[in-house]
Amino acid sequence: MKFGLAVNANETVSDIVGKCVEAERLVIDCVWVPDAPVQLYASAVASAVAASTKKIQIGLGLLSVFLHTPAQIANSVSTLFEGYGERFELCIGPGDRNLLKSVGIHLYHPDGVISYLLTAKNQIEKILRKNRVRCRIWLGAQGPKTLEISKFFDGVLLNYAHPNTIEWAVDKVGHVKRKDFQFGIFSSSYVYQDFDPKIFNLVRVSSAIVALGASEAVLESLGLRDKIAEAKRRLDSGTTLAKVMDQIPDETVELFSICKPLTELGKYLSVLSKSKIEHVVFGYPQNYSEETVKTLAHALKNWRKNERHRKS
Amino acid sequence: MQVDIGVTSGMQLKLILKVIKLAQEAGLRNVWIGDDIGLRHDVFTVASIILLKYPKVNVGIGITSPLLMNISTIARASVSLTEVGGDMRFRLGLGIGGLQDLARLGITVKNHKNVLRDAVMLLRKIWKGEKLLFKSESFALENYYTRHILESKIPIFFGVRGPKLLKLAGEIADGIILSGPRTYLEKAIRLVRNSVEKSQESTRSFHYVVWVPTILIEKQSDLNLVKRTVAFVLADTPNKVLKMAELNLNRIGEIRTVCQQSGIEKAALRVTSDLINEVAVHGSAKQICETFHSLERLGIHEVVFGPPYGVNLEEAIMKLGQAWSGFS
Repeated sequence: MKFGLAVNANETVSDIVGKCVEAERLVIDCVWVPDAPVQLYASAVASAVAASTKKIQIGLGLLSVFLHTPAQIANSVSTLFEGYGERFELCIGPGDRNLLKSVGIHLYHPDGVISYLLTAKNQIEKILRKNRVRCRIWLGAQGPKTLEISKFFDGVLLNYAHPNTIEWAVDKVGHVKRKDFQFGIFSSSYVYQDFDPKIFNLVRVSSAIVALGASEAVLESLGLRDKIAEAKRRLDSGTTLAKVMDQIPDETVELFSICKPLTELGKYLSVLSKSKIEHVVFGYPQNYSEETVKTLAHALKNWRKNERHRKS
Repeated sequence: MQVDIGVTSGMQLKLILKVIKLAQEAGLRNVWIGDDIGLRHDVFTVASIILLKYPKVNVGIGITSPLLMNISTIARASVSLTEVGGDMRFRLGLGIGGLQDLARLGITVKNHKNVLRDAVMLLRKIWKGEKLLFKSESFALENYYTRHILESKIPIFFGVRGPKLLKLAGEIADGIILSGPRTYLEKAIRLVRNSVEKSQESTRSFHYVVWVPTILIEKQSDLNLVKRTVAFVLADTPNKVLKMAELNLNRIGEIRTVCQQSGIEKAALRVTSDLINEVAVHGSAKQICETFHSLERLGIHEVVFGPPYGVNLEEAIMKLGQAWSGFS
């Protein structure tokens, strides 16, 4: 199993780079640089990270194919590849509905959102091939329709954390013929040694954002649709996220986040490894401080050690 | 006046970095990256690599179009590069973009002036962290604000050519990147200067940059490279620029036709010395520096030495750099 740490693109570039250097030192396999319309430009941040590190893999994404054209996405990856070598992975998807709306983009395409996503992936792949760039293309997926096209990608990064929901999503993807296909998860995370309520609150907010951006089908299947309907309605009519937080049920944290003491992470990862998951990305706020990054690295080191011991 | 180095995003990255290394060794400190739309590289990512690899050079995008990228993306890419580079090393060039590129992508816009006016206004507000609600033919923002507020200012340069947009540059931009025949340049500079003087911030510092084909040649036989470059540039120059340059539109039309039908080599045969002198800066390093110096007298602050540079790239950059340091 490979482990990634998502950077917080709301921080300054130098803070992000500092934490990625630390992640590399602590032998975390991969850092992921997200790209949302309110954050720093992922490709420039990835470039700064690559310039200050040597080996760590760098994931770019999720990049929205509605915010960037396939050519722009492929050319960004090609440029990074030419500048720093074969160290990059890419994750594409539709993007966050609410954030895209704030920059005048609506999740709509005459051929259908899912169909366009697949077309965009094929175009990106074609350009990368022409530029002789080898790069894994992940699909960032959550809803059942998106999951259905996962098999056409090199892997799928699920936006879930609870083992039951992950199992459901893996089932939805179905049988995949290609041997190098990978399942992964990309979740808001807080693996802690000493519990900090301030960081826990950030996990709550991150989980709420995922829940509020989820499709009706996903919310229905998780039994959340009615529970957050009022919060969604208020958010749509302009109320701030902070003001609707008290209407978000606590279970969203468990469904969409990895929030555990470090002593319990091993058990969780062992369960995941039985569900075909090969890549786990620990999202914001796990990168909250160098301390939280170290706690995660320590927990992962212990898990790897135990796994080696178990296998031998 | 400073001499800058110009590269384009369609060049191989290795070559771009080699050119900048040579330029830095030759004492040149500013880089402009022309955006070859859709070709191989993302111009902002190229800029980040240059800023990181060469901490002493300033980098400008010359230019990108708000019609080809969401305005929020241009805003945050610029903020990211300002953070990556530090010390105000990043400059943003904005323009409408090549009309052929826009047509190819199915983009049609009626009022170019409104596009650039709105783009500048929105970028500056986004960088200040304002919450924006805005809708026009080309832009839509709904309660949008960025998490990254800039303390320093990102200079916005216009890369435009028509009279209306030149006037707008003088009204709202921080500088202009001019390109075109010599007679056109002289008129364009006057136009922009008048507009700066009449603008609300008439006393602001406004920066003039010229990017015209500049080719170092040592012998007469190298002139063919100059002719090919001039034919290529003329074939892509809008008629309103040619009119301002007082060039014979029929002659240029013939060059365009030959270029389209028989290729650049044949078109180059139709390029005469008067056209070369009007469109390109060429000759020995000393002759080029003399021409640059004449541009300085027109009030130009920076001249960009861009591809194809000369028959021998390394020699061209080194010789020009050395000659200019002696000259200035």
